Parts: sequence; structure tokens; C-alpha cells
Amino acid sequence: MKRMTGRLLMWAFLLTAAALLLLPIGLAVLGSLKTNQELTAGTAILPQAWQFDNYGYTWKEAKFSVYVWNSVIYSVGATLTTLAVCALAAYAAARKTFPGRKLMLAVYSAMMFIHMGVLTLKPAYQLMVELGLHKSVFGLIIMMTGAGGTTFFILYAFIRGISRDLDEAAMIDGAGSFYIFSRIILPLCTPALGVVALFAFRGAWNNYILPLVFTMSQPDLQPLTVGLANIRYGFGGAVQSHLMLAGACISMIPMLLIYVLANKSFVQMNVGALKG
Amino acid sequence: MNRKWKHHAEAYLYISPSVILTVALGIYPILWALRYMFYDYKGYGEATFVGLYNFRRLFRDEYLWDAIWNTFVFAGGKMLLTLPVALLLAVILNGKLKGRNLLRGIYFMPTIFSTAVMAVVFYIIFNTYNGLLNQLLKLAGLPTLEWLGTEYAMLTCILIAAWGGIGNYMLLFLAGLQGIPKDVYESAELDGATGARRFWSITIPMLGPVLNIIMMLAIMSALESYEAIMVLTGGGPSGATEVMHLYLYKLLFPVSTGESMAQDIGYGSAVAMLLALIVGAITGIYLYLSRKLNDVHS
Repeated sequence: MKRMTGRLLMWAFLLTAAALLLLPIGLAVLGSLKTNQELTAGTAILPQAWQFDNYGYTWKEAKFSVYVWNSVIYSVGATLTTLAVCALAAYAAARKTFPGRKLMLAVYSAMMFIHMGVLTLKPAYQLMVELGLHKSVFGLIIMMTGAGGTTFFILYAFIRGISRDLDEAAMIDGAGSFYIFSRIILPLCTPALGVVALFAFRGAWNNYILPLVFTMSQPDLQPLTVGLANIRYGFGGAVQSHLMLAGACISMIPMLLIYVLANKSFVQMNVGALKG
Repeated sequence: MNRKWKHHAEAYLYISPSVILTVALGIYPILWALRYMFYDYKGYGEATFVGLYNFRRLFRDEYLWDAIWNTFVFAGGKMLLTLPVALLLAVILNGKLKGRNLLRGIYFMPTIFSTAVMAVVFYIIFNTYNGLLNQLLKLAGLPTLEWLGTEYAMLTCILIAAWGGIGNYMLLFLAGLQGIPKDVYESAELDGATGARRFWSITIPMLGPVLNIIMMLAIMSALESYEAIMVLTGGGPSGATEVMHLYLYKLLFPVSTGESMAQDIGYGSAVAMLLALIVGAITGIYLYLSRKLNDVHS
């Protein structure tokens, strides 16, 4: 009897937690399919007539096609640069000995604990102005590239776990170090690269502060997060909650698809972050 | 000699993109702030050297100390709500259970969405007039609340932060729990230890080192977060949810939030330095205390 109540309590807890965590997403999806009047009146939970037009309107009139396109470019671009930059550095740090290697590792780990918040964006922005990159897509991709941090350390730990026999055999056969990196190490790193790529993609897709600061005067370069938060202050006069929710759903759908497809890797990602 | 040189040159070539980016976007900004914290610099015109003036200002800035206090309230509230729930979920999901993977997928889901985008959604949900939550409460015949009013805005921010954090910490706890050998539990069960006893005598102590890392991550991220609050309340109403990193943001980029404050980079640099020190000191104290506690146990 006592066991039964225990199990009942446990399931009550599990299901309440699940319901509360899903509720905001459910409300957002349902709200995005209502008219604005319906949404503000709030007389029923389900829409009276499903307003799929909200998405079309948001896509065209509220410029979400531009925002989505920008978000895709930044996320894909930053994921690729992050992977390339970190994989190369992790390979060199894990496989080669060179003066300054220890210093590099020490500085990289210290950087994970020194946070100046948004302050770092000010000098970085001025740097981009001097390089003439502050009004370009490339400047944003460079800024969003994670050059060290968790990505570097996960790949570093992973490459150190790969047996050196393979490199040495290839070296005896006369392979150069870039050949070893690209043909032996990288293919063996695929699982770690997948996890890190998800990590980087999520970070870039959801990034808000950095593109906000960089695209303040260039609305055409704004990604989804910035575009959406801007219409919170109302566009075309009135606040249009239903369109804001449609915009939020447009931002959530790609991440949701990736999550469903790559659920396992997502779970590994956080485990890796803890151990790395 | 020649071969060794080639070996080093290759290594430097491979690390150069990473090192250049880290220096330019990570280290240079710190040095930049270390310089400008001694200057009066408004972002245009000349920067003038003012010595320790910005630091004297720090102590007189009551708004800053209010923001720091709010940050502690926010971080404490978020951790008190997030960590126990996350640990409980992890312990349950670590056992045999039907639908374990599905539940894990649901609990982790909030963490994949953008904080800023969710803050927009939460604004519509928690809005006092016609907010979706108050509508639901009305439908259920319950009293409504001014969720974003002075009194409850901080609570709302904590609830939202917990919503976004529970899944993440659940997964970190799960990773730690999977490192505890199963036979420890089995022998305890044979000796007749109850569930609660097993939790306090095995799970918590054996989670020790992982628990420390998780706590440290939780402290740092709670003290440094401001994105959701910035979009949701902008620090208002009347400073009720102003957290320290949001205040720093307003000092450096006042235009984007429609704030009446003027950009103040010199003072902002000093504030940034103070905030980094505060977070560093708190995590340091935590690590010191937890090590002492561990010594007592072992």
C-alpha cells in the first residue's frame, strides 16, 4: 500500500513537471494560430478558426523571411568556422609538442572563468569597425565563432583518446601532418564533431545579445532573435501578440526538428560538457 | 633541428586561427577594459585619465548595489527552485521506468530554445492585462496576479529561469549519477536501506565531485544571466528586476533599450571588473567551503 502511494506521488510529480515545462510551448503554438482579438479576449483555449495565415503574414510583411535567412547564414557559418578553428587547434595541442603549449591550455581554461559580460563586445565591435567588417555578414560570423572554450576542450580530450598508433603508422608511410589530421583524426572524431556542431549551432541560432549589438543600425542583417524581440515593442502601431507568437514558433521549429532527429547527441553534448 | 622547426611551425600554423581569435575577442577586450576603467570615456571624443574616480563612483552608485542585491535574490531563487527539482527528476529517471527516454526528452526540451525568443513568449503569457496565464486563471475561476508588476516581477523572472534551466541540470545530474556503480545500491538494498536513506547515504556523497562542478556552473550562470530579463521586463518596473549584468549592458549600449541613460564606457569598464570579481569571489568561496565539507566527510 505504501509502495503504491509512493509510485503514485512519483508519477504525479513527473507528469506535473512535464506539463508545466510543455505549457508555454503549447500556449505559444495555439496562440500563434488565433486572431489577435481572440488572443486578447482569451475565452477559449483552442482557436475558433485556425489562422494559418498568421505565418504567411509574419513571413512576408514582418520580414521574417529575411530574419530566417540571416539566422541560417550565421548559424551554419559560425558552426563551420567553430569546428574548423577548434579542430585544428585541438589536434595541434593534443598531438604536437611546441613551446607555449602549456601556456595556451592554461589561458584557454582560465578564459572559461573570466567573464566580463557584454563589455567584451565594445572593443570587439571597434575592432570590426577598423577592419571594415562591422556591416558585413562575415564580421558577425567571425564574432560568433567559438575559438576556444568547451568546444576546444571536448575535441582536445577526444583526440587525446585516439590511439597514436594510427598517426605513427601513417607517418612512417610518409604522410604529412595535415594528411593525418584530415584523413585519420577528423573521421575518427565524427561523433565528437557531431555533438560539438549541435552545441555551436544551438548557440548561434539562439544568440541574441551579440547580433543585437552588431546590427543595431542594420535591420537587414538582423537574425530571428533580434527581429522578434524588436517587434515586442510593436510594429505598425499596435502590439500584435498573435504575430509575435507566430514569429517565435518560426524560430522554434528548426531547433525542434533538429532536437527530435538528434536527441541522442544532445544528451551526450551535456555529458561531454561536464567531463570536458 | 630543421625537422623540429618544421614540426613547431606546423603546430603554430594549426593553432593560429584559434589563438588570433582568442586574443582579439577574448584577451584584448579584458586589457582594453583594464585601461579604460581609469578613464572618463563616453564612447566619442577624447578619453581623459581620471585615476580612481570610477572606483569611487562604484561605491556611491546605489543603483548598482541594488542591482547586485537583485542578482543575488534572482540567483538564489533560481538555484533553490531548479537544482532540487532537477536532482529529483534525475534520480527518478536514473532508475528503471517506463517512458524514461520520452520524459527525459520533454524535460530537456526548453533548453534548446532561444532565451530571447522565449522571453517574448513569456511576456505574452505573463502580461497582466490579457496575458495568457491570467486568462487561464480566470477560466479556472482563480484569482489573477500582476505577474510583471513591482511585487511579482522578480518571482516571474525566477520561474522563467527555472523553466529554462531544469532540463539542463537534470541532464548534468544524470551524467553524474551514471558514474555511481550499481552494485553499491544493490548491496545497500540487501542490507535493508530505504529509498531516502540510499539517497542521503549513497547518492549525495558519491555525487560529490560532480555536484561541485554542477554547483559552480549553476552559480556562475545564474549570476551572469540577464538576457531573458532584458527582453521580458528591461529591468523594470522601477528597477525591481534590474540585475547587475543588465545594468552593465545599459551603461555600454543604452540606445538599444530605449534607456535615458548615457553611454559611459569608462565607468562601465570598472563595473565589469567589479562584477567579474564578485562572481570569481563567490565561486572561489564556494569551492573553498565545499572542499572543507568534503574533508570532514572523508
